[in-house]
Amino acid sequence: MSGEVWVYSESEAVASEVATAADDVAKGASAHVRMVDISSLRPTTRGSGARLLLKGPPSPEVSPAVAAEALARAARELAPLAILLGATRDGREAASRLAAKLGVGCMAEVAGLASDGQGMTGERDVFAGKVVAKVRCRFPAVATVKVGAYPRAVAQPADAQEKDVGPIPDQTKTLGREKKQAGSVDLRSAKVIVSAGRGVKKKEDLAILAELATAMRGALGCSRPLSSDLGWLPEEHHIGLTGVTVKPDLYLAVGISGQLQHVAGMKDSKIVASINTDKDAPIFQASDYGIVGDLYQVVPALRRALAARR
Amino acid sequence: MKIAVCVKHAVDEAELKIDPAGNPLLAGAAGKMSTFDKNAVEEGLRLKAAHQGAVVVFTVGGAESKKTLKEALAMGADRGVMVVSDPTALDALRTATMLAAAMKKSGPFDVVICSEGASDTYTGEVPPMVGELLGVPYVGYARKIAVEGKTARIERSLEDSVESVEAPVPFATSVVSEINEPRYPTLIQIMQASKKPIEELSGEELAPAGSRTWVEVLSMSSQPTARKHVMIDGSPDEAAAKLLDALSKEGVLK
Amino acid sequence: MAGLDIGYLAAYAISLASVVVVAFVTLSLARKWSISLGPGRVAGLGRDEARRLRTGDAVFLMHLSIALGVGVTIVDAVIAPAMAGVPLLLDLFRAASVPLIVGLVVAFGWRVQRYYQSRRVGRGLGVPGGFASASTALQLVLMAAIALTTSELVLLWVPTLGWADLILDAVRNALVAAYYARPSVNLIAKFDRPLNSVSTPFNLADVIAGKTDPGAIRAGVGKVSEFSPDQSLSFDSCVEIGACEASCPATAAGRPLSPRVLVRKLSLLSRADGGGSDVLTSVGEDELWSCTSCGACVASCPVSVKHLDLIYDLRRELVSKGRLDREKSAMLANLAQSQNPYGFKNAARASWAEGMDVDTLQSNPKTEYLYWVGCVSSFDQRAQRVARALSKILKHAGVSFAILGAEEMCVGDPARRLGEEGRYQELVLQNIEKLNSYGVKKILATCPHCFNALKNEYPQFGGKFEVVYHTQLISDLIREGKVSVPPDKVQRISVTLHDACYASRYNNIFEPPREMLEASVDDVREMGRRKEKTFCCGAGGSNYWFKVPQQKSIAGIRAEEAAGTGAKTIATECPFCLSMLDDATKVSGSGMDVRDVAEIVAECI
Ligand SMILES: Cc1cc2nc3c(=O)[nH]c(=O)nc-3n(C[C@H](O)[C@H](O)[C@H](O)COP(=O)(O)OP(=O)(O)OC[C@H]3O[C@@H](n4cnc5c(N)ncnc54)[C@H](O)[C@@H]3O)c2cc1C
Ligand code: SF4
Repeated sequence: MSGEVWVYSESEAVASEVATAADDVAKGASAHVRMVDISSLRPTTRGSGARLLLKGPPSPEVSPAVAAEALARAARELAPLAILLGATRDGREAASRLAAKLGVGCMAEVAGLASDGQGMTGERDVFAGKVVAKVRCRFPAVATVKVGAYPRAVAQPADAQEKDVGPIPDQTKTLGREKKQAGSVDLRSAKVIVSAGRGVKKKEDLAILAELATAMRGALGCSRPLSSDLGWLPEEHHIGLTGVTVKPDLYLAVGISGQLQHVAGMKDSKIVASINTDKDAPIFQASDYGIVGDLYQVVPALRRALAARR
Repeated sequence: MKIAVCVKHAVDEAELKIDPAGNPLLAGAAGKMSTFDKNAVEEGLRLKAAHQGAVVVFTVGGAESKKTLKEALAMGADRGVMVVSDPTALDALRTATMLAAAMKKSGPFDVVICSEGASDTYTGEVPPMVGELLGVPYVGYARKIAVEGKTARIERSLEDSVESVEAPVPFATSVVSEINEPRYPTLIQIMQASKKPIEELSGEELAPAGSRTWVEVLSMSSQPTARKHVMIDGSPDEAAAKLLDALSKEGVLK
Repeated sequence: MAGLDIGYLAAYAISLASVVVVAFVTLSLARKWSISLGPGRVAGLGRDEARRLRTGDAVFLMHLSIALGVGVTIVDAVIAPAMAGVPLLLDLFRAASVPLIVGLVVAFGWRVQRYYQSRRVGRGLGVPGGFASASTALQLVLMAAIALTTSELVLLWVPTLGWADLILDAVRNALVAAYYARPSVNLIAKFDRPLNSVSTPFNLADVIAGKTDPGAIRAGVGKVSEFSPDQSLSFDSCVEIGACEASCPATAAGRPLSPRVLVRKLSLLSRADGGGSDVLTSVGEDELWSCTSCGACVASCPVSVKHLDLIYDLRRELVSKGRLDREKSAMLANLAQSQNPYGFKNAARASWAEGMDVDTLQSNPKTEYLYWVGCVSSFDQRAQRVARALSKILKHAGVSFAILGAEEMCVGDPARRLGEEGRYQELVLQNIEKLNSYGVKKILATCPHCFNALKNEYPQFGGKFEVVYHTQLISDLIREGKVSVPPDKVQRISVTLHDACYASRYNNIFEPPREMLEASVDDVREMGRRKEKTFCCGAGGSNYWFKVPQQKSIAGIRAEEAAGTGAKTIATECPFCLSMLDDATKVSGSGMDVRDVAEIVAECI
């Protein structure tokens, strides 16, 4: 059996990651990978196979609704085995609508993709990360691929084949888009939180933690004394019993002793790492990874190591 | 304004027990209203307070789901529609198909509100699918909704940006938790809500012929829940490098 | 008696008439609220006043001087015509007048000082102008009543002005009839109502049994007119004495609450438009959340105004209206979902007992005591040490006890104090069922909130147990010699005891923790505010679980007071106090050590 596995994401970086996942599916299904672009070619995406440019939607800014319609029109004609999107918020929206339009199944935010020829399987976190579910959907199928789970592909796709899908009206109108400010990131929806405790000696020193948070694409939180008693950060940064309850993928506690009132607000984080000078600090009991050390040395070291990786 | 809100009776992940072999014990697991669905109900109630009308809550699931429906009614929704279906045989498309069919029966609605994703399975697929199947514009991940006349202005909270979108009424949306602070229904309000009407529909009858469960769960296994307590040593630079390695391996570094 | 002139007779007649008016007004108010003024009640009041006299409370002494001054001058006026013929009588009155004059002058001084305080508090709270002038007017009236009574007593020493005395008396009596009759009636009705009684707007068991229609239940008060007659008598009896405000920790911390202002606001509202307007437009949410339910206001009020009764009903209204911020609703949701306010798994409740060989009721149902650990000592690492210390003492003394372990749930107190009566009663009913299923007879508690609920509140819902506080049991064990501290183990530290409101003021447990300290440390110091006058740590009334805007922290004020004794250790008897004061001493950097009395004793054995 031979067919195609399509890759699309509104983000070029994510598209290159999804391409790697698509290779795994294509291998099991003896299919080819197609890197899909909508309305204009994006030369920076990477992946195996050839490009497919869907022409019709005029604007290069493609909303999830337009992307879903364009992909659906093309898929009805070209009948790919699978269409993989990135599990970004826009990507999830587009994939779900696409699946509903085509009347096929959609696997959400999967990693570990494979194919048995008849369908594809993947793994996804359920129950707040406590359980991994192995799911399967027979072809034709749609899936969104977990962001960050695959390395970006390096291959340069072959030249584009074009397909005109016709004009697609958008029922909604995008009025504008603003970058979220690092400080104003809502802690409850942040995927990474760097949290500062009384181990930080001066207000000015918070800057090194804020930088680390930004470098990790996360938000800065704190223990209560820093906001309520010292007033170094606004109240909404304080995590714990009397503050916000958070469930990020990564909670990095820096100079926080880990009193119960604090832990109550971050206990459901997926991974907790902590840095503390006191090897008996209770925070280590609530951590997956611990570094006994001075934050004034470890945090700059982390910044350097991160910079080296990017 | 007629407002439909979708809620799910989700597995309470905090209370979920895992057997020694690592299998989650789903049969008889404790359930609760999916966390963010409370925000969806709250937003429905706020829209109703601003524009009059009624809030109808919909759910698809087994008999236990009624508890969640009642909680939404206790918060202040006017009536409930319960689509009865075996929850173990539901995937997103099937759920959305039933919800959309139920809404067509008791609709039309001006606004359909879901939450960004269920707290147990978190696929986030049902809301856009419902929008698609109802044939109305859909704007997801709303952190602010303002309706004026026949137009809604919605702020979408994306990964690192906020997008302002204008959509015509009727529309469907999903909300993120930052949109509001859901109200707590008192025990007595929950008991009082048992007087509010709940209509029961059969999921099998609602779903059109030929529709089925597409995505099946092959197996589930538990990840160790206890913290790992790995202590990392070495100089600051060594420790930092080891920590980043470990975190990338966990897939939590983006 | 010579020269019965017309002027004197007229004055006497007016004075007598004013006495009749006072009596009439008092009796009709009592009838209106169906309150018995019988000799039994009055004698009971006398005994209670004598008890309070012994506590040496200054405000109370002043209040007593006013009451007795009014009484003495009325009697004096009534028997005035006879007075001239019996010089001994006059001497008797003159003798009595001296301490009363002193008391009244001090009372006047207090009033003046409270007047300035109340202006300051009023400005801090931003009370509206109308309120401030009504408050000032009432305070001036009462200053006038005190001044008149004092003058009357002074005039006893000026024999030639007999009739002037009578006229003053009549004027003062008119003020008494208008302003003092109601508080007197309130006092007679409520002087013996225990601080720990809480009104119950419905009975959940009846709702579950189908005897009460949930739709008919109204929990909370939204309009002043919805307050019960008993409650409106309470707020209408306030004469701005200000003792509540002076003792209130919330006011002291600069929170947006003064019990005096709250009560007077309700009273003025009830008069403004028949009580039909929304209370919550005049009373702020944080005003209500500021209260720690410490009971200082209720205990210090000389006329038995029950502030807490009013606050609970208004909080219930906020809860019913869903006017809760994230912390409060999360706490309630945790109680609903996990049966503890933290939202932790109950399975971990007994983790403090690991390696300590503590029985659970499941494994050993025949023990003498059930140790009710409480949520804080179950989950909070610091407070877990108290549970371990208690277990060590009990084992040392050979007391048989067991815990419920994973089956323990929250006692319900945080829900009730926050105003979620339904959730509270649900927990109570579940707990009673569990306790009865194990045939529990005696319960031991280390948390005074658990203790108070189990002892004073559970019986109303059918849970009848003998409930003992850990300090009571341990001090008994010390007295019986089952726990003894050898002289060389007595700790050479200076300690001051912080009485927990719910143990001391609510349940009159004063001496047991002191006996424990006497036996185990060599230097015990006392703070000024102690025993029934203790000052809250700031955690009560569910305040542990949320934040309220404030200028200072209540725990910080208390920690400072403790440091003022020069002691190096604060002894607590409640896990909440422990946590609050531990935090406060860390914030202030005073370096004081905070430990539960049970920990201190356990270290000595
Ligand atoms: C009713 C109540 C509610 C509360 N609610 C909350 C809440 O919601 N959230 C909250 O956070 N707290 C809350 N608290 C306070 C809580 O009890 C703790 O006091 C607080 O969390 C401690 O904050 P911390 O860990 O930053 O400070 P500390 O406990 O002082 O810990 C500082 C830590 O930093 C470490 N350290 C010092 N120097 C360095 C260095 N150079 N490098 C690395 N590490 C260093 C120390 O070893 C120590 O472990 C509450 C308290 C009470 C009483
Ligand atoms: S109970 Fe305590 S905190 Fe509440 S008003 Fe009275 S004195 Fe103030």
